[in-house]
Amino acid sequence: MAKYIMQRILAMLVTLFIIVTIGFMVIRLMPGGIFDDAVDMSYEQRAALEAKYNLDKPIPVQYAMFLKGLVLEGDWGTSLKMYVNVPVWDVIKTKIPVTLYINFFSLLISLPLGIVLGIVAAIRKNTMTDYLISFLVVIFISVPSFIFATLLQYFVAFKAGLFPIIYDATAVGWDKFYCLTLPILALSLGPIARVTRYLRAELAETINSDFMLLAKTKGLTERQATINHGIRNSMLPLMNIIVPMFTSIMGGSLVIETIFSIPGMGGIMVKSINAPDYTVTLATLIFYSVVSLVTVLIVDLSYGIVDPRVRMGGKK
Amino acid sequence: MEPILSVKDLSVSFNAFAGTVHAVRDVNFDLMKGETLAIVGESGSGKSVTIKAILGILAKNGHIDSGSIMYQGEDMVKYKEKDFYKIRGKRISLVFQDPLSALNPIMKIGKQISEALILSGSIEKSKAKQRAIELMEAVGIPNAAERYEAYPFQFSGGMRQRIVIAIALACNPEILICDEPTTALDVTIQARILELINDMKRERDLSVIFITHDLGVVANIADRVCVMYAGRIVEVGTCEDIFYRPAHPYTWALLSAMPDLHTEETLYAIPGAPPNMLHPPKGDAFAARNKYAMKIDFEKEPPYFKISDTHYAATWLLHPDAPKVEMPDILKHRIARMREEAERG
Amino acid sequence: MAKFYSSDVPEYKVDKEQFEFVQLKGDIADAAFQDKPIGFFKDAMLRFCRSKVSIVAFVGIVVILFMAIFMPMTSRWNYNDQDLNRINLPPKMPVLENVGILDGTRWLTNRRVDSLEDTTRYPEGSILKVINYRKVQGVDMCDIKVDYYKYCGLEDGTYFWMGTDYLGRDLWVRMWRGARVSLAIAFISVVCNVFIGIVYGSIAGYYGGKIDMIMMRITEIIGAFPEIVVVTLFILFFGTGMLSIILCLVVQNWIGTARMIRSQFYRYKGSEYVLAARTLGVKDMALIFRHILPNSIGPIITRAMIAIPGAIFTESFLAYIGLGIRAPESSIGVLLSQGQKIMQQYPNQVFFPAVVISLLMIAFNMLSNGLRDAFDPTQRGA
Repeated sequence: MAKYIMQRILAMLVTLFIIVTIGFMVIRLMPGGIFDDAVDMSYEQRAALEAKYNLDKPIPVQYAMFLKGLVLEGDWGTSLKMYVNVPVWDVIKTKIPVTLYINFFSLLISLPLGIVLGIVAAIRKNTMTDYLISFLVVIFISVPSFIFATLLQYFVAFKAGLFPIIYDATAVGWDKFYCLTLPILALSLGPIARVTRYLRAELAETINSDFMLLAKTKGLTERQATINHGIRNSMLPLMNIIVPMFTSIMGGSLVIETIFSIPGMGGIMVKSINAPDYTVTLATLIFYSVVSLVTVLIVDLSYGIVDPRVRMGGKK
Repeated sequence: MEPILSVKDLSVSFNAFAGTVHAVRDVNFDLMKGETLAIVGESGSGKSVTIKAILGILAKNGHIDSGSIMYQGEDMVKYKEKDFYKIRGKRISLVFQDPLSALNPIMKIGKQISEALILSGSIEKSKAKQRAIELMEAVGIPNAAERYEAYPFQFSGGMRQRIVIAIALACNPEILICDEPTTALDVTIQARILELINDMKRERDLSVIFITHDLGVVANIADRVCVMYAGRIVEVGTCEDIFYRPAHPYTWALLSAMPDLHTEETLYAIPGAPPNMLHPPKGDAFAARNKYAMKIDFEKEPPYFKISDTHYAATWLLHPDAPKVEMPDILKHRIARMREEAERG
Repeated sequence: MAKFYSSDVPEYKVDKEQFEFVQLKGDIADAAFQDKPIGFFKDAMLRFCRSKVSIVAFVGIVVILFMAIFMPMTSRWNYNDQDLNRINLPPKMPVLENVGILDGTRWLTNRRVDSLEDTTRYPEGSILKVINYRKVQGVDMCDIKVDYYKYCGLEDGTYFWMGTDYLGRDLWVRMWRGARVSLAIAFISVVCNVFIGIVYGSIAGYYGGKIDMIMMRITEIIGAFPEIVVVTLFILFFGTGMLSIILCLVVQNWIGTARMIRSQFYRYKGSEYVLAARTLGVKDMALIFRHILPNSIGPIITRAMIAIPGAIFTESFLAYIGLGIRAPESSIGVLLSQGQKIMQQYPNQVFFPAVVISLLMIAFNMLSNGLRDAFDPTQRGA
């Protein structure tokens, strides 16, 4: 078991390293120098700038220095364009919490709501309730999250005035949540629908399986059989979709942040690509990679813990 | 003697996309207390559907068209779900065919056994585990106390079937229905499981309905036998009646088709295939495959002809005016051999 | 009723001749099949057509495709025709304007009452309604409803079905051109994905062993990259534009198809009918193309249909955050992001693209649901 954990962590670190390397290379190898479109400067000035940022050294050396700085000193470099001379870490450290806040809460509400709706839809399969839920599911899965964000912003915030239109960075505590309600909602609708659909399918299939029949024949009522056997067994495969769900939440948050003017990692990343400010871009990429890979790792490991067949090395 | 369970004129059909499938047609049989009744037939003959109807676990598109199932003075056909709840597991139990899919793969088996006990409310949680372990020992699972915490995938096929049997017997039912419990198992394990079922029957004074397509199994454990074809019972009698004095051509065909070591003639195979129950054939359903079919077989369905008090068969061959037909040679020789072996010991 | 024989029952009196044997001598043949066999695709199509939802979705997609292909060609304006005289016009449609919606009118607030007479500001006939008379700081003010087209001095008979944008470009043409661009990107990338996936998966599945292992490792590594990161890097390197986006969509999404094909190969490699065919001397290539791949067509088509809305989504998403197709070219994402900025004043500019993309995605999702159920009714009893 411990060996399994170590293996997965190692794999994750390797992947992370590859990502960072490729990211660094791509950025450095891009056509055009970093200071190409800067104001005219003399040759000496440019050389001096390049020396300061180590841009005159060969790429592998630059990379080694970057890694050394990153791992040993937590130095992510300095911003080149957007906030000149400000360390990148300072730029991003205020943005990370907000992004994590939205993503985390989104995940937190999507799962339980989705599970409940999925169970209800499966139990009342082919009734009006089921059709209604399935209809809503199709709509929420299809329509992109940023459309919902736009709609919510227009109708709920603008017209009805129930929630603030854009995010107020100074809000804290309950106020903060209130301000972020619409973005979180917009982000969650898709994932909720996805979980509902998945769980409904799993539960419907489980209900038809042999061991449910056995449960009934040994004297359990429908309800007891569904709860004790059906639901437990359908929750297990849920692990499979947590990762795609989380990825879509993360991706969605990029746009949502833009729509609601939330100062998060998404906004910074977009700005840094357009600026262009490569050190910041690299930092944001590393951030997203770490979050992604860690989530995958956690899900992988939990699958091993929750499913006894994997845990005890039995054949499936 | 009064039968403990009595099925009368039971008809069951299913709504399929292509039409209505008449799976069970006018089935009658009685189960006496303490006996083992075997129901024999090919796949698709309606054996499983009959018992699913008894327990009220038919698929959603199936329904009982007519008939009655009398148990404990009540007609189970009229039962609602809450009535079945009192019967299933507690009075009538079912042993499934495939133990691997019948057990919940992610629940410990001890819990699966004790669950039936706890939820029926007949015993408290603390005692339930003890009872479950006793039960596991009774069905022959070694190291029962340890194995209580194990999962189904950690057992072999034979052991899993024992667990399923344990679950079925947990609440001390009166009637045990076994739906081809040995079909999914190796031949060597089959014998042990059959032995187990017999032992349990004796110890707990059960009445058993045993469904199978394997006549060899029937010979081992049955007291009485019903032969089913295309949703009807075509012959019923004691084990001896059926094996030594079979009367219906289908029974002849089944008995002739069993391969054994001593057969010298060409192996017999029943030609054709069971009929499509969407359009049940006119007359005797077996007529198309029956070597001894007569014109009347394609016109009218034969009634049950009495051969003895215990033995009935539905074939026009038993009509007093019908030509006398002897069973095929291969069968005669086989029966003679069976008698010899039975006498020898 | 269980009927027992008794000699008194008249029903059971049978004529002698009825007891003649019919087939005592000779072999009994198997009965002929009563139903006609249908081919796999015909069977699937029948099932597909049974679902009304799928048909509606299919029709919807065809309609949108039709519009996307033909509308930009038939309209009198080009997608990039700018005219600052007609910026931000509200939508106006010939028939519906008589019903009161899409009639090209707009409310203007806070107008001075005395300015209403001025025909250079409010051309003849443009003011339709005046309400809310009030005095603000001693000046008479009111709100008015104008026929915006007349207000801008456009000649009668000019119609912009969806209005115009901030540069005076016809939104109807831009909408359908945008749809065309988005759909083109989606289709091309999905086709590439399917093709690469089939080839890759076939090779891995066919050869098995070491080749398979290496190939699968590669897919794992490529797949482990978070999508955002990969997409961003591609955009950085290749810039924005159709080709770049197509590349983005292709780089990771072929993996699912490849895995599926590979597992099909594994399933059928060991299956008996393939074994039998091999024993009879059938060549491997024939096996692949006549047995293994046809069995996979159902899932492949279903996957492709599901992938299309995903591609449209990604493309719009990128355009929205400025990393995708850029102005002046139009795509659904570009329209959305441009419209969203001025949503509060001119909601129609974001409304129409939003509706079109939503309908498109819903239709494709329903279509793929229907296809999945049609090709494999055993899966997911929905």
